[in-house]
Amino acid sequence: MAEPAAHAAESFAGCRARAARTVLDQVVLPGEELLLPEQEDGEGPGGAGERPLRLNAGARPRVRVVCGPGLRRCGDRLLVTKCGRLRHKEAGGGGGSGVYWVDSQQKRYVPVKGDHVIGIVTAKSGDIFKVDVGGSEPASLSYLAFEGATKRNRPNVQIGDLIYGQFVVANKDMEPEMVCIDSCGRANGMGVIGQDGLLFKVTLGLVRKLLAPNCEILQEVGKLYPLEIVFGMNGRIWVKAKTIQQTLILANVLEACEHMTADQRKQIFSRLAES
Amino acid sequence: TLCLQRLDGRQTYDYRNIKISFGTDYGCCIVELGKTRVLGQVSCELVSPKLNRATEGILFFNLELSQMAAPAFEPGRQSDLLVKLNRLLERCLRNSKCIDTESLCVVAGEKVWQIRVDLHLLNHDGNIIDAASIAAIVALCHFRRPDVSVQGDEVTLYTPEERDPVPLSIHHMPICVSFAFFQQGTYLLVDPNEREERVMDGLLVIAMNKHREICTIQSSGGIMLLKDQVLRCSKIAGVKVLEITELIQKALENDQKVRKEGGKFGFAESIANQRITAFKMEKAPIDTSDVEEKAEEIISEAEPPLEVVSKPVLWTPGTAQIGEGIENSWGDLEDSEKEDEDEGGSDEAIILDSIKTDTGVEISNIGSQDAPIVLSDSEEEEMIILEPDKNPKKIRTQTIHATQEKGPSKKPVKKRKKKRTAN
Amino acid sequence: MAFLDSLGGSRRDQIVSKRRDTCGRGSRRAPHPSWRLLIGYAVCTQARASGRKRQSLLHVGSPAMEESMQTETKVRPESGAESGPRSPSCTLRHFACEQNLLSRPDGSASFLQGDTSVLAGVYGPAEVKVRKEIFNKATLEVILRPKIGLPGVAEKSRERLIRNTCEAVVLGALHPRTSITVVLQVISDAGSLLACCLNAACMALVDAGVPMRALFCGVTCALDSDGTFMLDPTAKQEKEARAVLTFALDSVERKLLMSTTKGLYSDAELQQCLAAAQTASQHVFRFYRESLQRRYSKS
Repeated sequence: MAEPAAHAAESFAGCRARAARTVLDQVVLPGEELLLPEQEDGEGPGGAGERPLRLNAGARPRVRVVCGPGLRRCGDRLLVTKCGRLRHKEAGGGGGSGVYWVDSQQKRYVPVKGDHVIGIVTAKSGDIFKVDVGGSEPASLSYLAFEGATKRNRPNVQIGDLIYGQFVVANKDMEPEMVCIDSCGRANGMGVIGQDGLLFKVTLGLVRKLLAPNCEILQEVGKLYPLEIVFGMNGRIWVKAKTIQQTLILANVLEACEHMTADQRKQIFSRLAES
Repeated sequence: TLCLQRLDGRQTYDYRNIKISFGTDYGCCIVELGKTRVLGQVSCELVSPKLNRATEGILFFNLELSQMAAPAFEPGRQSDLLVKLNRLLERCLRNSKCIDTESLCVVAGEKVWQIRVDLHLLNHDGNIIDAASIAAIVALCHFRRPDVSVQGDEVTLYTPEERDPVPLSIHHMPICVSFAFFQQGTYLLVDPNEREERVMDGLLVIAMNKHREICTIQSSGGIMLLKDQVLRCSKIAGVKVLEITELIQKALENDQKVRKEGGKFGFAESIANQRITAFKMEKAPIDTSDVEEKAEEIISEAEPPLEVVSKPVLWTPGTAQIGEGIENSWGDLEDSEKEDEDEGGSDEAIILDSIKTDTGVEISNIGSQDAPIVLSDSEEEEMIILEPDKNPKKIRTQTIHATQEKGPSKKPVKKRKKKRTAN
Repeated sequence: MAFLDSLGGSRRDQIVSKRRDTCGRGSRRAPHPSWRLLIGYAVCTQARASGRKRQSLLHVGSPAMEESMQTETKVRPESGAESGPRSPSCTLRHFACEQNLLSRPDGSASFLQGDTSVLAGVYGPAEVKVRKEIFNKATLEVILRPKIGLPGVAEKSRERLIRNTCEAVVLGALHPRTSITVVLQVISDAGSLLACCLNAACMALVDAGVPMRALFCGVTCALDSDGTFMLDPTAKQEKEARAVLTFALDSVERKLLMSTTKGLYSDAELQQCLAAAQTASQHVFRFYRESLQRRYSKS
């Protein structure tokens, strides 16, 4: 009883940082300090956090660590800025290098370079389209950024159309810019999303969960009905099945997946498969 | 061939779930209609009546579209939608005489009760008017006003402890039912949600009570409705109003029962325990035995304030001045420095001040308060660090060293800090 | 000082009589609102540098203060589960928090402390109006809405206090030229309202995923006429208190982010309250942690 309390108080006092390794997949809160593996090694188990060590202390080989969303570097300290579960992805080199980030359940999207998103065309001005992606400002999309588009051969895009595209420019100081072609100039699935279907919004965390490699939800959904589905990292999902009824069922099931355990999901899918 | 699929799986005539919860105060409720949420609160005040209605109490409705409900709602703006909704509420509740306003009269021509109904939209997911009308009538039914007695000219108000507060006398309960029309009235839906509202062609609102008396009716959006369409809607409204009235009565009875039995009530009880987004903690005792000690320690470490006796100066009759005016210290750095130090010694409140500034350094530019300390120590060359601000922690510790060397008056600050980190 | 003394003394009778007829209910107003405000102001500035000698007049000053703050003539019957006296020892009332309960805002939280309840909604980082745009950081706005009537001076002043607290912990520089809006709705006020507003705001900001350098919480302390202090006071305790102090503390260094007080107190009492608030803040932060852990238990 007393132990978790002491533990919580300790981490909040801020003077003792926890090792990132030990809190992997646990909930971290804004303000917490994390220690990277090489920092804890250098300190020894008892001295962790007493005085933060520099990343490249002594002759230690420099380890490359990428600070993902929800984390920030302050000097040589790694601080948490968002609430969520701490995740880590090992890089090729191993030895503690790789990406750390916080998996949060936020709803608001902030554009990130390389993200595939679903946008809604809100305006045409000159040779660019303005696309609402759910961020703090609309993204711009050049009419040349479509497969096969030339100055003469403009793509057929109307206001209100849904666009599936990718960010090529996205940072806090500039207007985000989207394209609907990959680096080879191919559409690669991007472009205007067809008529009909249903667009709905979920949390950003759910989209990441659904898009994770070998996510069992998608496999189950695929077994239910034949469907077309598009996931935007901005929390938008577009789905189309043979009938409107099926489309609605799919949308509701996907939405409900957010707060269900794997067992609960299994039950739902087996029930749907029967009906 | 009215074949229609609603996004949330409802049938054409289905309402979304309605949930009614009450606060600990009388006349306070939250109504949830699906994801649309309205907070209602009734309050009362003794005022003088309107000239032409000397024996009638006053009913006042105010619906607010909070920015919380949707980002497009701006605070303090009377939008068309807001005016329309408020007017409709007034027609539904005030003009239908659902409250016995004559019973609100205390002294004819002099004192009547003004009943004020405040409604706040907290989350907008369509059909604001139905949710608001339910919240308004529920709050009015739940409300209790203080008891009064009149003896001669004297009006006595009783506190809830002295005399039980009295409920308002309510004749009937009008409830709004909204119908959305699509494709020139070919299709109709009951209780449209926000997405349905965005694409509807017209809206028909019928306010009705459980006796099937129509209290007000409003068609907007400019669609032509046939007589039998309106009749059909009023029939549906009758059924819906009956269902909703029953739900309201059940909720009111339940709340009353819990209050009578001395059970727990209020919004804390209406939070679903099984929801993982909700969490509760029982009363927590806080160990404050060491607080006195800590405080004493801090104060004893602080230097006692200098006995400064201020002599008021009388310049001319009617004016007085205590203390000195601010001296011009342009180009005279040493003097101002001394003053700084004096101030530090004389003012006990400095303890708090300096703690504040400590946090201030990191936070914003209040650092200016710190600046004199840094710059005043001319010997401490290392103080001025022009490197890019990579490690604010480090700079801070240095400032603390400087303050320590500077004089005993600032010492407590540092000690306190140490203690905290040790905890 | 002498000026204040005499003022306080002469006001005493009136205040007592006012109390008797149930706190100025009905149409009666405070006879000299401007004068009262003056007293209140003087008391505030005095509270900074105080001494033992003044203790005797503390009792006089604070009711005047209290009255000046609450010249509301509206009547809202007070009732509720908390009518029974709370033990004088320091306890926090029961806490409850629900996150993500509103569908429209990016983050929302309802926070309950006993019968006090505040609902908070956060939008952001969202589109910002050009005239409010700041080129190198997010524009942070706090809107506090009272339950009855329109927002007044009291709400504006609290908005400022909350805004400054939020500004201190939100990493606005990460989202320049955007807006972060915190809307707070008072659901019920049964004491320690400002502290509850702060807690609701923090939980809603966390829910919205706004980057922050630390969490923060609000703790209210009330000082009795005989010098004993209470944490998380009810409305009744606040009314009877000689002084009410509210602090905002951060979770990393447990430092003071904001403090606001009314009434008279000595420096020793201030330090005691602050130390008690710091101890209490640990409980609040533990409550935060446990509710957030529960929230993320299924992801």
